[in-house]
Amino acid sequence: MTEALSDRGPLPTMTARPEGLLRQIVRHRHDYLYVLPSLIVMLIVIAYPIYYTIELSFYRTPPNLQMRDKIWTGLDNYGTVLSSASFRAVTLNTLIWTVASTGIAFVLGVCAALSLHREFAGRGMLRALLLIPYVVSAVAASYVWKWLYHSDFGVFGAMSVAVGLTDRPINFIDNIYTVLPSLIVVNIWREFSFAMIMIMAGLQTVPEQLLRAAQVDGANAWQRFWHVTAPHLAGVSMVTVLLLMVANFNSFIIPWIMTGGGPAGASDIWITQIYQIAFGRQRWGVASAYAVILFIVLMGLGYFYVKALTRGDRGRAE
Amino acid sequence: MSVRKRIDGWRWAGRVFLTLLLIFTVLPMFWMILTSVKSQFAAMQYPPQWWPAEPTLQNYVKLLDVTNRVGREFLLYFWNSLYVSTATTILGVAVAVPAAYAFSRFRFPGRTFLFFAVLLRNMFPAVVFLMPLFLLMRWMGLVGTHAALILTYLTFGLPLSIWLLKGFYDNIPVQLEQAARIDGATRFQAFLLIVMPLSMPGIIATAIFSFIGAWNEYVYAATFINDQDRMTLPVGIQRFFAEFATDWPGLMAATFLMSVPVVVMFLVLQKYFVKALTEGAVKA
Repeated sequence: MTEALSDRGPLPTMTARPEGLLRQIVRHRHDYLYVLPSLIVMLIVIAYPIYYTIELSFYRTPPNLQMRDKIWTGLDNYGTVLSSASFRAVTLNTLIWTVASTGIAFVLGVCAALSLHREFAGRGMLRALLLIPYVVSAVAASYVWKWLYHSDFGVFGAMSVAVGLTDRPINFIDNIYTVLPSLIVVNIWREFSFAMIMIMAGLQTVPEQLLRAAQVDGANAWQRFWHVTAPHLAGVSMVTVLLLMVANFNSFIIPWIMTGGGPAGASDIWITQIYQIAFGRQRWGVASAYAVILFIVLMGLGYFYVKALTRGDRGRAE
Repeated sequence: MSVRKRIDGWRWAGRVFLTLLLIFTVLPMFWMILTSVKSQFAAMQYPPQWWPAEPTLQNYVKLLDVTNRVGREFLLYFWNSLYVSTATTILGVAVAVPAAYAFSRFRFPGRTFLFFAVLLRNMFPAVVFLMPLFLLMRWMGLVGTHAALILTYLTFGLPLSIWLLKGFYDNIPVQLEQAARIDGATRFQAFLLIVMPLSMPGIIATAIFSFIGAWNEYVYAATFINDQDRMTLPVGIQRFFAEFATDWPGLMAATFLMSVPVVVMFLVLQKYFVKALTEGAVKA
C-alpha cells in the first residue's frame, strides 16, 4: 500500500502550481461532478443548520416556533447561559463525564489490545465478543444497564449483598453521588473496544525486527513497550483519544434514557441541557447560544483532530 | 532465567485482565438474556433468581405474535427500522462512492479543504443539528416521514463513508486504471469496470457502518417522527417502556431482538467492520 502511494509521489500543494486558481477550477470542473452529490446533501444538512443555529442564538424565539416573530436580543442568550445557576455544575459534570470516560476506555482498550496482540486459541472469538457492546444500540444498552442497576431487583445490588459488600442493594442511579460514575461505567462498557480495535491495528505497524533487536540488546518487556511500541502508537492513540473525546462530549442517549439528567441534575451534561432547553422549555434561542458555545469548544478539539491526522499524512509521504 | 519469568508474568497479567474484561463485557448481555426468559413474577424478586427456575419464551412469543397488539407494534417498528436503514445504506453508498473516488484520485483545488470539511462533520453532536434540521424538515414538509430520517442519516454517515472508501481507493494501484484507459476505456468505464469490483470490500465495510448507524439512531428518530405507525425500533422501545413500565422481562426480550440483526451482521462481516473502523486512523 505504501508503494502504491509513493508511486504517485507526495501530494502537490497549491503553491506548487503556477496556474491561477480560477483556471484550475475550470480545468478540473469534471472532477467536481463526483463530489457534487455529497456536497449538495451536506450543504443542506450541515452548513445550513450551523448557520441557522448561530443566527438563532442572537434572537428570542417564540415557543410556538413561528420564527417570523423572533426578536433580536444581541448577546442576551449567551449571558443567560453563562450566568445560569446550573451552568457551572453542568460544565463540571460534562468535564468529568468526558475525561473519565475517555481516559478509562482508552487505558482499558490499550491493555486489551496488548493482551490480545499475541496469537492464541480463541483470540478471534474473544475480540468479537468484546466488540459486541460497541455494535449494539445505545438505547438497548441503556435499558439493559438500567435493569442491572435497578434499585430493588437489580443484579449488581443483589451481587454486592451476596458477597457481603453491603447489607442492602446499592441504589446506583437514584443517588446524586453514584449516578455519574454509574453512567460512566455504562459508557466505558460501550466504547472501550473501539480503543482496543484502533490500538490493535496500530500494533501491527510496529516492526517486528525492532522488537527483536531490543530484546537481543537486553531490554525487558516494559522497556520494549515503552521505547519501541509506544512511539509507534503515538499517532493512532492521538486520533483515538480525540475521537473518543468528541463522541463522549456529544453523547446523549445514555444519560438521557437512563436518568434524563437527574436526580437533581446530578447527571446533566451540556448536551442533555441543550435538549432540555430546546425541546422541553421551547427556548430555542437560549439553546442555540448553548450550542454555539459547544461548537466553539468542539472546534478546538477539531483543530487537534485535523492536526493529528495531517501529521500522519506527512509521515506517510516520507 | 529471570527474563523468562518476567515475560510469563506479563502474559499472566494479560490473561487475568482479559478474563475480567470478558466478564465485564458479557455479564450485562448474559443477564439481559436470562431476564428475557423469566416471567414477570420471576424477574421481580429479591434476592433474584440467579438462574431462571422456569424458563419461558412467552416474552418472545408475545413480541413476535401479529395477532397481539404489542407484537403488531413491535413488528411494525422492526419493519420501519429495516426500511429506513436499508434505504440509508443504499443511498449512502451511491453518493459516497464517487466522492471518495474523487478525493482519492483527483487533484482539484479545494480538495483538501473539502476533505476536512467532510471530517469536521463528525465533530458536531446530533442534538445541535436537531433544532435547525427540525425546522428545515418542517419547511420541506418532511416532518413525520421516513424521508426526513433517511436524508438525515445519509449526511451523518457520509463523512465516515467517504473517509473509509477513500482509504480503499488509495490502495488500488492507479496503473490498473491507466492500463484500462490505454485499452480504450473512458475514465468512467475504468472506474466502473476496474475500480468498483476491486473496492467491493470497502463498499461492504461502508455499508455495514451505515446500516448499523441508522439502525441504532435514536435522537433524530425521536424528534422527527410522532406518528406511532412510523416509529423506528429505538424510539418504539422507549414507548414500550413508558407504557409497560414494570415489564422488564418483556423489555429485555425486545432489546435482545433489536440487537440481533446488527450483532449477526457484525459477526458475519466482522473482518470488514474492523477494517473499516481502523482504516483511516492507522494509515493516515
